[in-house]
Amino acid sequence: MEFYKILVPVIGTDADEEAMKLACRLAKKNKAKIWAVYVIAVKRALPLDAEIESEIRTAEGILDHIEAVAEEQDCEVDTDLLQAREVAPSIVDEAVEREVDLILMGVTYERRFGQFSLGNVVPYVLKNAPCRVILYHQPTA
Amino acid sequence: MYIIVVGGGKVGYYLTKALLDEGHEVLLVEKNVTICKNTVDEMGSVCFRGDGCEASTLAEVGAGRADMLIAVTGDDEDNLVACQVAKHKFNVPRTISRIRNPKNETIFKKLGIDVTVSSTNIILEHIEEELPTHSVTRLLDIRDKGMEIVEVKILPESTTVGKAVRELSLPEESSLCLLLRKQEKPIIPKADTILQSEDRIIAITPLESEEVLRATLTST
Repeated sequence: MEFYKILVPVIGTDADEEAMKLACRLAKKNKAKIWAVYVIAVKRALPLDAEIESEIRTAEGILDHIEAVAEEQDCEVDTDLLQAREVAPSIVDEAVEREVDLILMGVTYERRFGQFSLGNVVPYVLKNAPCRVILYHQPTA
Repeated sequence: MYIIVVGGGKVGYYLTKALLDEGHEVLLVEKNVTICKNTVDEMGSVCFRGDGCEASTLAEVGAGRADMLIAVTGDDEDNLVACQVAKHKFNVPRTISRIRNPKNETIFKKLGIDVTVSSTNIILEHIEEELPTHSVTRLLDIRDKGMEIVEVKILPESTTVGKAVRELSLPEESSLCLLLRKQEKPIIPKADTILQSEDRIIAITPLESEEVLRATLTST
């Protein structure tokens, strides 16, 4: 499997960091391009282009950190901050628009109502992604 | 423009689609999970699952910044409640409600709904327009001014045929705006314009004078 364009959606977890390191390793072989995206989910009560300062600050912090992680791996990464009503469709849209070969997502083990849950984003991306998807699971300490 | 459509039936579905095509920000509010899922699958994140009659739902979908709310569920009562909550709690500038029972039109207006759309009345108006027995067709209600624009057809047996406009005793505040005659350009009626059989007159009149106007123009 060879990848030339890789999309790494991030939300600021430890798994994102490891996912980015993995993306860098996969990218090195073919000098693939990597995009790290953070999606701010904007509530309906606000217009889509509303500037939510606190969210933007958090997102920029996460993207700066992920950029630094990539630099440590001698890898160049482009970062993108998106605003959307829902996170999952915007990740898929971004993948379509950038014609990526791979979406690489870090996931954490989460329980909802006492059962393991992948949440809403991962299942949607798995179902609708136009390319391969790799989920990186961070082992619990 | 941010438009909230309440009710994801056929009307709501096609309305949402058309409004999205026109470039508006549209959100469909629908209770049924399957309808909501199908809409999202087809049109993206434009459907919110919830009851559009509930203030909490409308708050969540951002009714406070909506420019318009259109309630098109199959129940007149639900449409009324959705529009009223939007109007009075969230100050939505314009509310439009679909009504199935034409009798509800007056009460909806009294309760502050800006526009009501009655499919029954629309069909009836089209029938009136097509049937020669109906000489007056209502074209537009200007309810807040108490006026309406009507089209009156001059029947061959009418006593007004051959009379000049000045000879007609039109009701107060009514005026004839346009005269449409077969194979002629539209004419703006003047005092000396002679009415002919089959002429169609566009007139503006107070609501309460419609009957008098009809009687004046079409008496036999």
